[in-house]
Amino acid sequence: MKKISARLLKNSGYKAGSLVIYFILICVSFVYMEPVFRVISKTFMSAADVIDPAVEWLPRASSTENLRIAARVLNLQKSLVNSLWFSALLAGAQTIVSALTGYALSRYEFKFKRFWFMMILLAFIVPLPVLMVPRLMMFITFQEATGIKMIGTALPQVAMALMGQGVYSTVLILIFNNFFNMIPRVLDEAAMIDGASPIQVFYHVVVRLSLTTVLVVFLFSFVWNWNETYVTGTLVAGTIELLPAKLNLFDQQFESMVSSAGSAFRLNEAYKMAATLISILPLILLYLIVQKQFIQGIENTGITGE
Amino acid sequence: MKMRKKDAAFARRQNRMGYLFMAPWIIGFLLFTLFPFVATIGLSFTSVNSTIRGYEITFTGWENYITAFFKNVEFVPALGEFVMMIVPYTFMIVVVSFVVAYFLNRIKRGKAFFRTIFFLPVIIMSGPVMWQILDSQTVINGVAMPDEYTNLFLFNILESYSPAFSNMLSGVFRQLSTILWFTGIPIVLFINGMQKINPSMYEAARIDSANEWQILWKITMPQIRPIALISSIFAIAQLSTYNINTVYTLIRTATANMSNGLGYAATYAWIYSLVVLLMIGIAFVIFRAPRDKEVPLP
Repeated sequence: MKKISARLLKNSGYKAGSLVIYFILICVSFVYMEPVFRVISKTFMSAADVIDPAVEWLPRASSTENLRIAARVLNLQKSLVNSLWFSALLAGAQTIVSALTGYALSRYEFKFKRFWFMMILLAFIVPLPVLMVPRLMMFITFQEATGIKMIGTALPQVAMALMGQGVYSTVLILIFNNFFNMIPRVLDEAAMIDGASPIQVFYHVVVRLSLTTVLVVFLFSFVWNWNETYVTGTLVAGTIELLPAKLNLFDQQFESMVSSAGSAFRLNEAYKMAATLISILPLILLYLIVQKQFIQGIENTGITGE
Repeated sequence: MKMRKKDAAFARRQNRMGYLFMAPWIIGFLLFTLFPFVATIGLSFTSVNSTIRGYEITFTGWENYITAFFKNVEFVPALGEFVMMIVPYTFMIVVVSFVVAYFLNRIKRGKAFFRTIFFLPVIIMSGPVMWQILDSQTVINGVAMPDEYTNLFLFNILESYSPAFSNMLSGVFRQLSTILWFTGIPIVLFINGMQKINPSMYEAARIDSANEWQILWKITMPQIRPIALISSIFAIAQLSTYNINTVYTLIRTATANMSNGLGYAATYAWIYSLVVLLMIGIAFVIFRAPRDKEVPLP
């Protein structure tokens, strides 16, 4: 009897404890999502609702008017298509190089391997501004020497991505390296005995076995390239209309469009939030489809120590 | 004898193939990372003029640094602001992600659901999005909102002791959501690390009648230290690439300015990077594994 009641007591204590934990987690989640909720709620507010202190979350009369106007200022159709191909192109380039580098680290014993591995890690913490001035000068010099237009095109970033210097390349290399380490070497050896060249082994054995990882890396790279604005802002400089860059300039562009149209519109939070929602919506949709793979991708970097 | 020759050939082959696969990265690293890094240090001592014939680079000594620190009235405050932002932010990011991961590790149901929420910001976060959201939080129709937190009694007390500290604290509170947005990846790393702690250690501690609190401090925390280091480095690296700080704006306007903008930009960028690397160094010293102390055996 005593034993049972003690167990009951312990159990209820555990339950109460986990209820508290759930409560805290829900509160934290709310703080997490608050900006997103606010963006969504403001998107559907009218100009009157925005300044009305009585309206906190739910708009009085919802309309999609804001979305329509924001889409026009963002030049949505064009900038969406541009953002898609731009990010996909860079992500493709980054994925290939990260796979090659991760493969080299996983399968070959070459001289100064530890040194290069350290360099890959160090490349992650070098702040970008310190690299951008010489990079910009290099590309401009190259452009003037050869006559190939570089600044204002995707070329400089494609070149950098193809040589492993894109956004967060280090993380992508680590994901690949760790996954390749899990593929048994016996498979490589079997293929080599059958006369496969190293590149054939890489492609037909290792890459074929890690197609999910390839997809995860591609998606991460896609998302990071989509969200990257500093390097893009310096090298593309607005020549290619991209969604995040347009969002950055939303305020000015809204004002100039309004003044050229001669109408009495005034910029308010609702328009800004509608534009923000539009620019994150493609990413949210993507995340909803493959959220599990994203989280597993980070778990598989192996930096938590195996 | 013959065997050794074969071994040497194998090692040579390994070396060659390794470098073949590494080649794109190594070339890119030398060209786009190492060279620019060194070049920026050099450029920070020069004046760069962009002309039709290309760049005219003249050596000016410490001129740019003097301008940055003594003549430009914006740079030093911006740098101070950056440091005042990054220190509490990093601290909050590491602490919050540890606490959230610890809780997530203890619940049975709904883990995947919460993880999905906490990871979402990693996907949607970008400079412009952050900027728009921060902007909408502090300003409504061009009128700055009064701060709800600073009216609290506690804040008034703090304010009278140290205005700078209370400023920093209210900044942390005001931008709590934004800070939380940087915890997505650290949370996943922490959870992953916690799951790898050997369960028999916990068991041993429980047999020695340690309570949960003691286990948290004596086992979980020391074991998780390397991940705290990675998380803090990640947080600093990420925070310093987001253009929500004013130093970034300064560097960008200087980069766009063609008459010796680039020289100044190089100087600013170099000082900025030194600060960032210093921060990472500090994080390293705080979180690195402590040296094994000699425990005298009884």
